[in-house]
Amino acid sequence: MVVATKPDLSTRNTGRILDEAIARRAIDSAITLGAEYAELRLVSETTNSVSLKDGKLERAIPGQEVGLTMRILADGAWGVHSTSDFNSIETQVESTVKLAKAVASRRPNNQSPVGLAEVPIIEDEIHWKSKKDVRDTELQTRIDLMLAIDNEAKDHKSIVSTSTGWSDEHIHTELITSEGMNRVWSFQRSLIHGMVTARNESGVVSYRMRHGGEGGLEIIEECDLGGMGENARISALRLLGAERAPSGKIPLVADRDLTGVYIHEALGHPCEADLVAAGDSCLEGRLGQQIGSDICTVVDDPTMRGGYGCYPIDDEGVDTRPKNLIVDGVLTEYLNHRETAHKYGLDPNGGARAQDGLHHPLVRMSNTVIQGGTHKDLDELIEDISFGVYACGSRGGQVDTGRGSFQFAAQEAWIIENGSLSRPVKDVSVSGMTLEILKNVDGLTKDAYLGSPGFCGKGQTVPVGDGGPLMRISEALVG
Amino acid sequence: MILIPDDAVERLFSSAEKIGKACEKLGVSQWEIYATQGYGHSLDIEAGKISMASGGGDGGFGIRLVQDGRYGYAHLVDPNSASHAIEQALSIAKMSPSIEGFELPANQPASKVGGMLDKNILDLGPEDLLSQGDFVIERVTELDDRAIAVGGGIGIGAGADVIVTSNGIEDGGIHTSHGIGIHVSIDEDDDLTSSYEGESSRQMLTEITSSVDKAVHWAQVTRDKIKGGETEDCPVLMTSDGFSPLFSVVVPSAISGEKLARGESFWSGKMGQNVIAEHLSLVDDGLMEGGMSSGSRDAEGVPSMTQKIVDKGRLQGELWSTRDAAKMVQEGKVESASTTGSAVRGGHTSPPVCGCSDLILSSNSKTYSRESLVEEMENGYIVHSVMGAHTANPTSGDFSVTTSTILKVANGEIQGALSQAGFSGNMAQALSGKVILGSSKIRKGSYSTGSMHVPDVLLMDGLRINPA
Repeated sequence: MVVATKPDLSTRNTGRILDEAIARRAIDSAITLGAEYAELRLVSETTNSVSLKDGKLERAIPGQEVGLTMRILADGAWGVHSTSDFNSIETQVESTVKLAKAVASRRPNNQSPVGLAEVPIIEDEIHWKSKKDVRDTELQTRIDLMLAIDNEAKDHKSIVSTSTGWSDEHIHTELITSEGMNRVWSFQRSLIHGMVTARNESGVVSYRMRHGGEGGLEIIEECDLGGMGENARISALRLLGAERAPSGKIPLVADRDLTGVYIHEALGHPCEADLVAAGDSCLEGRLGQQIGSDICTVVDDPTMRGGYGCYPIDDEGVDTRPKNLIVDGVLTEYLNHRETAHKYGLDPNGGARAQDGLHHPLVRMSNTVIQGGTHKDLDELIEDISFGVYACGSRGGQVDTGRGSFQFAAQEAWIIENGSLSRPVKDVSVSGMTLEILKNVDGLTKDAYLGSPGFCGKGQTVPVGDGGPLMRISEALVG
Repeated sequence: MILIPDDAVERLFSSAEKIGKACEKLGVSQWEIYATQGYGHSLDIEAGKISMASGGGDGGFGIRLVQDGRYGYAHLVDPNSASHAIEQALSIAKMSPSIEGFELPANQPASKVGGMLDKNILDLGPEDLLSQGDFVIERVTELDDRAIAVGGGIGIGAGADVIVTSNGIEDGGIHTSHGIGIHVSIDEDDDLTSSYEGESSRQMLTEITSSVDKAVHWAQVTRDKIKGGETEDCPVLMTSDGFSPLFSVVVPSAISGEKLARGESFWSGKMGQNVIAEHLSLVDDGLMEGGMSSGSRDAEGVPSMTQKIVDKGRLQGELWSTRDAAKMVQEGKVESASTTGSAVRGGHTSPPVCGCSDLILSSNSKTYSRESLVEEMENGYIVHSVMGAHTANPTSGDFSVTTSTILKVANGEIQGALSQAGFSGNMAQALSGKVILGSSKIRKGSYSTGSMHVPDVLLMDGLRINPA
């Protein structure tokens, strides 16, 4: 068969899918052929996605996907084989070892072979149980929850269309390594989102909304969905009358969503040690240096239960923990996987993530949050700004980690004039250089928490959480 | 063939037919089985070396069922579990709205599209790919010993896919691909400049190093820094590489029939009117030989076609899938609509949706070399890449992005590079102002929204540059 033929892929009872005897034989064979390390990681995903257009069911897609990646380290280089036909994996061992050795033979003399930092070898199963297992959710329940958004979002003559979406997944992972690691873990994620489009004689605009996190149905039920739809409607209508944003270097205040995207793009990505090792990070060689203002403390924390970027164990089987990226403005830690931890003599900190069972792990963020400061609220943050911009909601961002330049875009914004919010503006994007703008953060409100869930692309796409308090930057390039 | 089994298509047909029979056994009147299996090899480049080589394959099946104008969809990897997936799709169909006139497409003859398969790619093995990697890395340092390939990769792929429906459509084949992405940086004197370039093709890339040459060139020419001036509304020459990703976010969405009908496109209500400069045309070509998004049939088995969307500035066409067309007619959003063979899908996990194939922007006026465009511009900027193209707003056409590969032009001559600048405007407005297209090589860019074929574009109106 071309595709997998194992008859039962169900992991409903947290059982195993991978045949351990086959997995062991494949791994032993790799070692016999000269590999230093070999692993098999299987991921089974039970997914459901639903979308409504103008309150009517557009599509509902249940799915069951499984993928297996074999990673082999031989002569200090990686060979990888990925497949959905996991019964054939033994036949691919020899060619994958050869591949790794072929890569190793090309390594320049001035470069070191890949090594892996030591980690505790653990055999266990960890299953994060949702309060309400999302797999038990009826399609009608999903539709009803989406309609709660839709009914509020469409309630105006200028709203020409609404769309809402749902996505949930139960992720089951099994990892077996030549070092004796044998771990199984599972967890769930749930997400609801929508978009409203408004139109009048002045033009057409859209506004997006999103709520979700690690967990089951309870994640969606805890959200004020009607309020989310109402806010989206109000924002879209406001954008219809908004003028184009000013351009130039001006003070910027960002809401939690935007603060989160800023810290994700400007700091999080350059802290990924695989980029540092590739010579593609502006933070190379800066551990221990003051890179931001002393009110900035940033944590990346996959253990922050409920956050969209949570996971119990990383995709190399390493236990997760919070990582203090910067403390009081000082760069204290990179995000690592085992390879980069070994390269830099650091502790592995559980930063290895793969998109699914068909991809190999890269260094990735999880839930990245800038900690709260001392300002009471928005009013206090803007009271001494004579002219600036308050920007809210994220349309995403991007970073050039090597140069240290970044960009992120807001959904809506207001002009700040003489310490107060005045008129709404649209099309606000902010750009800057990581090493300059982190030093310009001069105000943070006390309360910090995760903003809307997001997705991060780095060749592979993974869910992430970002957030923080309201943040003031004394000078940012707004365009 | 090394890359894909000789009988890959036959195996998929066999499994798809088996699933089709299971549908009939469960009393499904209309069914569509899409099956796909991909194989490939790739290598990653990091810090001036090949860091990893990988291979593998994956695939699966998508089942779309239609009963009384209602549809359900499910996907799976194991054809032996098809009954469960069919039952899931049936239960979803029962909850879906009934759309009058929506049926799976009838079987119609389709033209063969050439250039989808390059047998040379099928015969490539991992060692061949590694040799290409060696060549690319050597080329970087050969061009500039300060330059390093900090990231990127090369990949080859072969995919088999088939579609089998209850209406008699049975089609399938093998397609190949060869792609390169290369990120080059020059870090000297506390100034790091870089450029990312890429290219993909259904045929073997004959000039594998052309992306390398371009990346090194842009990393070099952006080193000659000048001080940024004031924010200004000015002409901007976007290279094909810089324009393509921005265009791909904004324009394909605007020409969807459903979005036009719902008022979700900045061109809604403008059918028959001038929407872009009068010398410009926009063609969606589903039959392009070797097109990355072309083929003899669309994703629901309808014969592909070449369609003029904008002719000499005037909006005259739109893209429809079978279901979208029936739905908009039923909802009274349009008087009539029918499929334009514009269904696409992102693999077996998604049902067919409306989308672009190979989208071409052309001009019936004189086109210019890049040098001539610079002279024509007189004063303005050249932008070769943008950061944040995905943050552009496809509903309004507004964008506000950042660029670090930007050159200032004064009196028709390049003055030097800015370290960074904001770049904003509205795509619809910019294309409806004074526009001149270039004649230099068009980057072959493939995105989730289709494949874009856009040349260098000089946009004279409605754009703002905000130097850092």
